[in-house]
Amino acid sequence: MHIPDGYLSPITCIATYAAALPLWVIAFKKLKQDLNETTLPLIASLSALSFIIMMFNIPIPGGTSGHAVGASLIAILFGPWIASVCVSLVLFIQALVFGDGGVTTFGANALLMAFASSFSSYYIFQILKTKSFAPYVSGWVSVVCSSLVLTLFLGIQPLIATLDGQPLYFPFGFDVTFPAVVGSHILFFGVVEGIFTGIAYRYIVKNRIYKGVNA
Amino acid sequence: MKKILYPMLIIFILIPLGLISENPAWAEWDNEYYQEALGFIPKGIENALHVKALAPDYTIEGMNDIVAYYLSGMLGVALIFGIFYLLGKKLAR
Repeated sequence: MHIPDGYLSPITCIATYAAALPLWVIAFKKLKQDLNETTLPLIASLSALSFIIMMFNIPIPGGTSGHAVGASLIAILFGPWIASVCVSLVLFIQALVFGDGGVTTFGANALLMAFASSFSSYYIFQILKTKSFAPYVSGWVSVVCSSLVLTLFLGIQPLIATLDGQPLYFPFGFDVTFPAVVGSHILFFGVVEGIFTGIAYRYIVKNRIYKGVNA
Repeated sequence: MKKILYPMLIIFILIPLGLISENPAWAEWDNEYYQEALGFIPKGIENALHVKALAPDYTIEGMNDIVAYYLSGMLGVALIFGIFYLLGKKLAR
């Protein structure tokens, strides 16, 4: 799910950075507002947990693997902006220190794994808030939305960047990308994120670790 | 805080489970894959910017994979806590 360097055309890289930049500015301002002695340790811990959770590569049928993100848990506890800036920070460290996800594609990776997942899960949670299964569904939706955005970024590459009929960057179109990416996230990684979010959310609320902006 | 750090520690101890999968993530293939599947390697992927990571793919050269994975995990977690610590100090002023 981390798009490596060389997979997206330069124009896509520029466009995704341009789209992400104002969002990062807003998100960082919100983070500064919300950080205090109570929230900081928990927000830092949940960011670290997101990093750890992404290290669990889960093999699935078909010879590939994937992972949950942990964005949804932060989004339903602290709101989508805070979650977006936290997961962006995690992605930034992964790209620079571990070569996981590209540097030119960091904007795109942030849009899909940080922003798309945080906002989708936050709003789903708001709708279902009174139901006990809300965090499970939110987690699942967050990863499925990420995979939709990932499909969009990858799938348009062969349409916009070819030379002499050969794709220059990611070579597979929507017909191949959509079922592989969205399908695997609906069936596997979304379910893992849902279970993780649901259990962790219940644990945090039950132990009164954090009452949450929504509680 | 203990209530959140202890479960995190347990999850952290389990991270080598993430190494079970030999499979790459979908679309995170080696260049040879493209050669085989398409008969060519897309130019942009072949000539991609290559940033020299400190611990590429959470491995450290010449080190056991599991040990390197733990160290990578610790490094990532330390960086995250460090950044938040600095941010908190900066905001407190």
